[in-house]
Amino acid sequence: MIEALYDVSPAWPVIIAGLIAAAVPNHHVRKGLALIAPVLAGFLWFNVPSGVHTGGIIELGGFTLETFRYDGLSRIWGLIFIIAAFINALYGLHSRDRVGDASGLIYAGAGLGAVFAGDLLSLFFFWELTAISSVFLIWGSKTNEAYKAGLRYLAIHVLSGVMLLAGAVIHSADTGSWAFDESLSVNTLGGFLIFLAFGIKCAFPFLHNWLQDAYPKATVTGAVVLSAFTTKLAVYALARGYAGTDMLIWIGAVMTAFPVFFAVVENDLRKVLSYSLNNQLGFMVVGIGVGTELAINGAAAHAFVHIIYKALLFMSMGAVLYRVGTVKASELGGLFKTMPATAIFCIIGAASISAFPLFSGFVAKAMTLAAVAHEGHYIVWFILLFASAGVLEHSGIKIPYFAFFAHDKGHRVREAPVNMLMAMGIAALMCVYLGWPDMFGIPGGYRALYNLTPFPEVANEYPMWTFDHVVGQMQLLLAALFAFAFLVRMKWYPDEKRSINLDFDWVYRRALDGTARWGHAMFGRLWASIGNVLAAARTRIGGRLFQAFSPMGAISRDIPSGMLAIWTSALLAIVLIIAYIAP
Amino acid sequence: MSDQSGKHDELVHPAARPFLWLDAKWLKSSMLWILLVLALGFAAIDLFHHRHEYVHVAETPGFYALWGFGSFVLAVMVGWFVIRGFLGREEDYWDGEGDQ
Repeated sequence: MIEALYDVSPAWPVIIAGLIAAAVPNHHVRKGLALIAPVLAGFLWFNVPSGVHTGGIIELGGFTLETFRYDGLSRIWGLIFIIAAFINALYGLHSRDRVGDASGLIYAGAGLGAVFAGDLLSLFFFWELTAISSVFLIWGSKTNEAYKAGLRYLAIHVLSGVMLLAGAVIHSADTGSWAFDESLSVNTLGGFLIFLAFGIKCAFPFLHNWLQDAYPKATVTGAVVLSAFTTKLAVYALARGYAGTDMLIWIGAVMTAFPVFFAVVENDLRKVLSYSLNNQLGFMVVGIGVGTELAINGAAAHAFVHIIYKALLFMSMGAVLYRVGTVKASELGGLFKTMPATAIFCIIGAASISAFPLFSGFVAKAMTLAAVAHEGHYIVWFILLFASAGVLEHSGIKIPYFAFFAHDKGHRVREAPVNMLMAMGIAALMCVYLGWPDMFGIPGGYRALYNLTPFPEVANEYPMWTFDHVVGQMQLLLAALFAFAFLVRMKWYPDEKRSINLDFDWVYRRALDGTARWGHAMFGRLWASIGNVLAAARTRIGGRLFQAFSPMGAISRDIPSGMLAIWTSALLAIVLIIAYIAP
Repeated sequence: MSDQSGKHDELVHPAARPFLWLDAKWLKSSMLWILLVLALGFAAIDLFHHRHEYVHVAETPGFYALWGFGSFVLAVMVGWFVIRGFLGREEDYWDGEGDQ
């Protein structure tokens, strides 16, 4: 323990490493920084004494910024962000992309900074930093589509930051406090704005399309990095500020269900994973909405394991994209023959996300489902159960089956690079370890996960590995697997074909965009018409004036002197009469 | 194109060779029955063992198996007929004016 470092947030070494990486042209130095920075962050995380710790206070412009709040909630999120940063760095070792290296580190550091932020201003700073740094991971693909998706992503996330700041200012004016804690409420204007800001980043229904729009267009490494931080930061923020907010239960339930339908017929497998990510976030949001200690534990444990298995799935699809050049399901198949290790890692990720017993998803999701049922939210419980079968469909079956098995499309590519395999291997090991039960008196790996949760006593009292639980879960999954085989045999399973499906982003990408273009065109026409009318009026008035005052005009005409004398006399008479009458 | 079975394909990874049977037709055709037996087997446990659940309807024998099967079919059908049917578009849809 080094007491002098107690107040240093693990975010700083990662952010500083990112800033240095941006300036260093040497590839090996950058990669060294990318690997060392998370190790240093991990050291700082372990260095903090257990319990609640507040530090990293910065006085700035009359504000007190709290950059390092370490407690049960930030502890688990901080650790998984550090692990993710390390695995991502390992996965991206082959890539010679200075901007990508720097932005990946700054983004991870900003995520850590936001998790450890104790006040709303610090949170805002790191919140915006995540948005600005991460967009380069999308633009790094260097395609026109990625550039436009990145712009949309940036606009939406900056909007989220602006709403967060506006909400924070209003909240502070109302309460006199900038604290980022459970004092936030959706029943106040400030609290509601902050809630919406979190909701955008958490991909709430109708606010979600930035995720499916941007992630599939990011670089091979970029998609893996993106999958870890942004949305889970939002889940953390909701858990910190809005635990027990009832509306989150239904928002989360909808989030678990609707992406399932889109993922079924999506051809781009990284987009399938993006919908799947949305679905998984739903489970966490439900847990936060329920708000009991068991439910918060469920959300935290789910976020922890989800970051690992989702990264693993994105890594496997990234490896496929790197080698084959596409992740379109319609173009893939049979890759297990040439990428067997990637296939195995992908299957482990798929088994974990599907919550097969002995894999990490099983021990995390169970707590949320139990908490939901325990609190009497039965309809939501049924929806979550439906979504569990849906997860198996899109991430458990579709991803590995169509990429590595199904119909062999004859791609004979090389296995993924060694660094990618190492990163996937570590993630896969963690997926198995964290789902491992107690055996022969030896505590299972899931105990390590449960001990990290915000309420470890509650987690460890939860009867995870019961016969009933395992049998029920196996019934659900095997019957769903049978349904897949049955539908394929009956030819009732939709073909994978090159197509896209419209989602809510149609509203702003097409309807609002079209309306804006139409409005612009109409305004142009209106302006032209007004110009024409003014020009015509100017011409007409000018003509009249010309007719009156020009040398040939009416005023300039010669008037007979007799007529002038008569008019002068008449005017004089009128003046005399007025002068006589006037008092 | 390469050899579909992979047996004579030199480009197949050595580690994958022992698992080429995963691509065999007999396995694909029998997978349906293997999964049916496994699903029914786990469902049948409920006939001999009473599960204790927070939600009482879940204690019905075979509940999770029925729910899993029904949910999967529902997800696929809604995805196919509603999402693809109404919202499916050509791959170049966004290449139009609105995405420029």
